[in-house]
Amino acid sequence: MPGLFEGFIARHRRGVTLTVLVLVSFGFLLVSNRAVVIKPKEVGLSFVGFFQKGFTGFFRWFGDTAGSIRQLNAAREELEAAQARLQDMDRVTREIVELRRQNAMLRQQLDFAQTLTPDRIAAEVIARDSDNLFSTITINKGWRQGVRTGMPVVAYQADMEGLVGKVLSVGPGASEVLPLYDPQCMVSARLDTTRDEGLVRGEGRDRGTVLLQYVKKTAKNAIQYGDLVVTSGLGGLYPKGINLGRVREIKALAYETSLEIEVEPIINFDRLENVFLIDAEPAPVLDTPDASGDPGAQQGSPTGAKPAVPPTQNKPAQAPAQGAGQ
Amino acid sequence: MNKDVRTTVFTIIALAVCILLQSTILNRIAIRGVRPDLALIVLVFVSMRRGSMVGQVSGFAAGLFEDLMNVSPLGFHSLMRTVIGYLYGIFAGNVFIDPFLMPMVLTVIATILKGLIAGIISAIFGIASSGFITFTGRLWIEVAYNGVLAPFLFALLGLFRVFKQADKEGD
Repeated sequence: MPGLFEGFIARHRRGVTLTVLVLVSFGFLLVSNRAVVIKPKEVGLSFVGFFQKGFTGFFRWFGDTAGSIRQLNAAREELEAAQARLQDMDRVTREIVELRRQNAMLRQQLDFAQTLTPDRIAAEVIARDSDNLFSTITINKGWRQGVRTGMPVVAYQADMEGLVGKVLSVGPGASEVLPLYDPQCMVSARLDTTRDEGLVRGEGRDRGTVLLQYVKKTAKNAIQYGDLVVTSGLGGLYPKGINLGRVREIKALAYETSLEIEVEPIINFDRLENVFLIDAEPAPVLDTPDASGDPGAQQGSPTGAKPAVPPTQNKPAQAPAQGAGQ
Repeated sequence: MNKDVRTTVFTIIALAVCILLQSTILNRIAIRGVRPDLALIVLVFVSMRRGSMVGQVSGFAAGLFEDLMNVSPLGFHSLMRTVIGYLYGIFAGNVFIDPFLMPMVLTVIATILKGLIAGIISAIFGIASSGFITFTGRLWIEVAYNGVLAPFLFALLGLFRVFKQADKEGD
């Protein structure tokens, strides 16, 4: 019997090796991917769904191409209207600049207290995902430099601060950042002008935009193209007021109760070299009972922006599958 | 050292170097954020030259290395590259590889195959990624990129004696 077994292995060495390697890989995937729930029906559905998505995407591409020609004509007319509006906007911008100046002056007069000044850790982008399938960014700072999982990451481009994403996993001297455009990245946001709240979600590297969802349809007329979208601060993970992007397209689907707003990120991720990690640990600057007694109200994050335990080498693989939103 | 073992070790090193290059300096030549997959081209070359055993073992090891340094779940790339290494190794010694056309064709097919396998693994295991899981434009950019680079990389790798064509397939 052992001779038969050995003979079989010798005859089918390549096949046996392939089977072993595939099984080992499957084993790794099962262990490392926390989101996996192997139910035959769901696996079948996912498998068929993959091909269905492929077919739908292929035919939609043809439809979109035809639609693009129609849209081009409409775009021409919109351009003329937009130019007229632009002149009007110039006037409004001048007024805003004046109002800001007045606001700053009044604040100074009222001795407005700056209660929270989060520390920042400067870091450099050293690598990106080696494959085009995933989209993390690796930076050169880790837990030795005080980086923790969940920290917001920002950068400056064209004199503007914009949100890059958040820290996904931390090593001793390097960390991985989940960028804003990743489908697993979710940020509570609001429109800077109308103050309407929503949730920003990445649409993948392919589109290069992010989607602002759950904004009430009633706000449609008030929202303008180019309006700034900022973090709302809800959830506690991202500080309030960080720029996310500008409104590029507003979709009001008949079957949806809310708007879908396409937002162009402030940050050009192709040019990203240096970033800053925001350390929003509660600064002990106020002695009032409220500030010291309930830090969670401002800072507590359900996703672990402030882990109670020391930072660990959280295998990044698990994060995308389990959702990385706030 | 057995020649296959030596070739496998060299291939794993070459693949690891390619993966490191892809995550760092190749970002500078990315088109819409898409970089060429040099590791895939090397794997195709070696598998076509040295057979399934070398192809699948080195593909598995390099894939595991890639999984360890990336956000992908452990086993994702190792499974993908094992299967590709095995499939291409089947044809080792049976296909005439000219200097230009065949490297392109083989690499283009391998890249599409990679997208397909990645999609299937992601669908089964519920892995979310922002890449070309649903065969979006990014896949086709990588297909073109890999196809263009393949003849040059094949020519370069052909200079190394360690990758010399096996007399007989694989084993």
